[in-house]
Amino acid sequence: MNDKRLKFLKIMLYAAVGVILIRLFVIQIIQKNDWVAKAEAQHTMQNTIKAKRGEIYMMDGSEPVAIVMNEQVYTIVVDPMTVDEEELKRVIFTDDLKDNLIVEMSDVTEDRSRRYMIVAKNVSREQAKKIEEADPTGVWLKGMTKRVYPEGSLGARLLGFVNEDGEGQYGVEGSLDKELSGKDGMLKTVADVNHVALSIGNDNVKIPAEDGKNVVLNVDRNIQSNVEKILARKMEEFGKDQASALVMDPRNGKVLAMVNLPGYNPADYGKVDGAEVYVNRVTSDPYEPASVCKGFTFATGIDLGVLNAQTTFYNNGYEIVDGWQIRNSTYGRSDLLGTRTIQDAFNWSLNTGSMFALRAIGGDPTQINEKGRKTLYDYFVNHFGLGQETGIELFEARGLINDPVEGDGRDSMYANMTFGQNLMVTMIQVASGYASLINGGEYYTPTIVKGYMDEGVLIEKEAAGPVRRAVKEETSAQMREMLWGTRASQRLYGIDRDGYYIGGKTGTAQVIRDGAYSMDEWVATYVGFGGRAGEMPQYLVMVRIWKDGETTGAEQYAMPVFNDISNYLIDYLKIKPGA
Amino acid sequence: MRRHRGDRIIVAMTLLLLFAGLIIIYAIGPMRANFLNATYGGDISENHFFIRQLINVILSIVAFVIAYKIPYEKMRKWGKWVLILGIVLSAGLWVLAKVGSGLAKCELGACRWINIGSFGSLQPAEFLKLGLLMYLAQLAASRKAEGSINKSDFWLPAGVASIVSLFFVIVVQKDLGTGVVLIAIILGTIFASGVELKRFALVLGAILIAGVGVIVTSPHRVERVKTFFNGDGADTYHIENAMIAIGTGGLTGVGVGNSVQATGYLPESINDSVFAVMGETFGFLGLGLVVMIFVILLTRVMRVAELADGMEQRLMAVGVFSWIMVQMSVNVMAMTGLIPLTGITLPLLSYGGTSMMFVTVALGITFQLSCYTKREKEMKQAKFSNSHLKKRRLNEDSRSRRR
Repeated sequence: MNDKRLKFLKIMLYAAVGVILIRLFVIQIIQKNDWVAKAEAQHTMQNTIKAKRGEIYMMDGSEPVAIVMNEQVYTIVVDPMTVDEEELKRVIFTDDLKDNLIVEMSDVTEDRSRRYMIVAKNVSREQAKKIEEADPTGVWLKGMTKRVYPEGSLGARLLGFVNEDGEGQYGVEGSLDKELSGKDGMLKTVADVNHVALSIGNDNVKIPAEDGKNVVLNVDRNIQSNVEKILARKMEEFGKDQASALVMDPRNGKVLAMVNLPGYNPADYGKVDGAEVYVNRVTSDPYEPASVCKGFTFATGIDLGVLNAQTTFYNNGYEIVDGWQIRNSTYGRSDLLGTRTIQDAFNWSLNTGSMFALRAIGGDPTQINEKGRKTLYDYFVNHFGLGQETGIELFEARGLINDPVEGDGRDSMYANMTFGQNLMVTMIQVASGYASLINGGEYYTPTIVKGYMDEGVLIEKEAAGPVRRAVKEETSAQMREMLWGTRASQRLYGIDRDGYYIGGKTGTAQVIRDGAYSMDEWVATYVGFGGRAGEMPQYLVMVRIWKDGETTGAEQYAMPVFNDISNYLIDYLKIKPGA
Repeated sequence: MRRHRGDRIIVAMTLLLLFAGLIIIYAIGPMRANFLNATYGGDISENHFFIRQLINVILSIVAFVIAYKIPYEKMRKWGKWVLILGIVLSAGLWVLAKVGSGLAKCELGACRWINIGSFGSLQPAEFLKLGLLMYLAQLAASRKAEGSINKSDFWLPAGVASIVSLFFVIVVQKDLGTGVVLIAIILGTIFASGVELKRFALVLGAILIAGVGVIVTSPHRVERVKTFFNGDGADTYHIENAMIAIGTGGLTGVGVGNSVQATGYLPESINDSVFAVMGETFGFLGLGLVVMIFVILLTRVMRVAELADGMEQRLMAVGVFSWIMVQMSVNVMAMTGLIPLTGITLPLLSYGGTSMMFVTVALGITFQLSCYTKREKEMKQAKFSNSHLKKRRLNEDSRSRRR
């Protein structure tokens, strides 16, 4: 009887072991992949290896200088469950760190079941080092980089900023974000329960980060800085609150300065009244530059051989197109009426002159025709690049040149376009087109990137040649003369020094308010060039200045800004006077 | 009965299990130390757990040898006293815990250990297991011989000893796992002593009712049972991670030292969960082998019972069998999600001294008893042929004369 009972106990053992073995078979053989997947989800730790964001340089003469740099800062994180209160008080919640702290001591200690809490931000390297040496329990430092701006707000609207998420916004930071940010790497490891990487297994993956490129701009920090100062001074003097300026080398399209005022502090970019102040107006804000466009209209006529500076036309003070009376701004001056030359039309900015030119281009002296409109469109768009993105390495707006055929009132529209109204173009488009008018007739894509700094050495980008011929060389020579003549005729104050060849054209634009051109709100533009007498122009400057609701005339407000910039450039670029 | 060579398979299997446990602790001890240091800011050295376990193993082997060497006739007299010591220690621990003494070592509201300074800690429940086993074996054997096994002469003292032991372990120390092992020892010995099945069924029923009562009256146990069936809470995390460890092991395991679960994911990796870590390390084949070693060991223990020369010896072996079988099964079944967690160690494999030493003492006694078993052939032949038996005896005589 007892043997039976012992046998029964043995059977119980076999039964238990049988159940266990079947269970093990199910878990280890049948369900293995499920458990491996669960294990991987639990064990694998994936870390991003942050790529270093590239710095931004401007030129200081021939030397690149860093304008936007990186600084290592730290975020302090605590584990409320394990921290020691006394230690926290001694090391973290100190006067030294009070500007960085974002929580109170009591916030950490009130709920000690939490494991992760950010207590301070933007802690400097020195402060971080001190904390590291004290090595408090339950406290760790997370390093991150922050943009710093040794030159303050210099070129803020050109450079843009980097937001909290590390994304470049506006300006160079925005448009070249991909190059600047590089490519983050990745580290995938098996980690223990405290997230410490283990050397177990060979599934560990490491993809190193590709640091961002250090971008060197063509912009010269001295020119940028002085143009900003001149602009700011003139704005204050004239009581205007908006101004932009662009300096470029017309011989190759390199941008030497790009200024928009008012600026902002990129290190504290959140403290602005509106996002408008971030916009780089030179490339992103199309407007009607008005009479500076007469240069494009006359150049078209000259290039086609249908007129030259001495061609005469009859100035009646106004013309009627499509039933609209289009007047000169000098409408009231009877002394200018009668037979006038194209140069006169340029000097006195006679709209009747540019409308005459459009008729001449169309081959019908009596009226504007489709051929004239189409030809003007072709020159504006395909030769001078108006209403087109120029291809500069910045965010650009395209603007608009209306179609010469489709739509109503094309004649009056194109009549207006001859003197720069009824179209939308950006400053960079106008300046690049003007560069081609005066540099011998070749169009260069404007460019802001000179090259890259690689371990302290400037690697220059290969210079791009001209994109196309905009006008004939003779046309360009005539345009220089006309612009010089116009400026000479307006040079009321004897401001240009002897031995320098300086030309330019004003543009006073009426602003559209409530669907009509306003008579008492103007924007002033001046575009001009300068250089040694007898040589090709060495610089091209475009200025735009205004204040909403005010009449800002170009001759009175934009030209003086040009004058100051031009004189400064002659000194800074050490241009010797010619014969 | 004359002494003959013991069943060396018992020794071999015991050593194999001890050795397997050492390998695992060697591999995961540093991870455990690292985890504890990182989480609680300690300064435990990498080899801390291995060296301790090595000492535990050596001490356990010494205990095995001592239990084997001291004649059972002498040892059996101590059985009652081991039981009384267990009860006294349990009562002492209760008092120490009540007064909040540092000598009582408590975890999560359960005080199961007495601190004994640098030696570590002592678990009174282990004394109860061995003491109760020895006491019940003697009591049942003598009552059986007297023919009063089914009378209160047996049931009263056996019942009192069992209930007192269970009270301390389950109610006071809140240690249901050890309680289950104790019940196994009690039931195993009584069952094998040849009590009437009717009475045994009554005992079984009473234990089942009491068991349900104990669970229902303790919120902590109700919670454990609930979480087991609902699949949430800390126990679920524990079981889930044990199963992740076992599952990742697959057929052949990830290899010694490559366990990731032991780096802190799996609670109690070196103690109660060591089976899971072995599953991750050695795979299905490894665990199968470990389980088979247990089966071989337990069959050999049962063989001692089958061939035992006296009732007391037989009941001793059955008690050891029940003890190790249930402790192993409860641990392994918890690790594989078959039953709720109870928190008991895997005999001979888990880290820790007291538990291991008492198991080796029990096995040492069993090994000693295996030297006094009847011959298997003898048992069978006795039934069929007296002449063969005579011949056999002659042979034996001549062999002994040669000695």
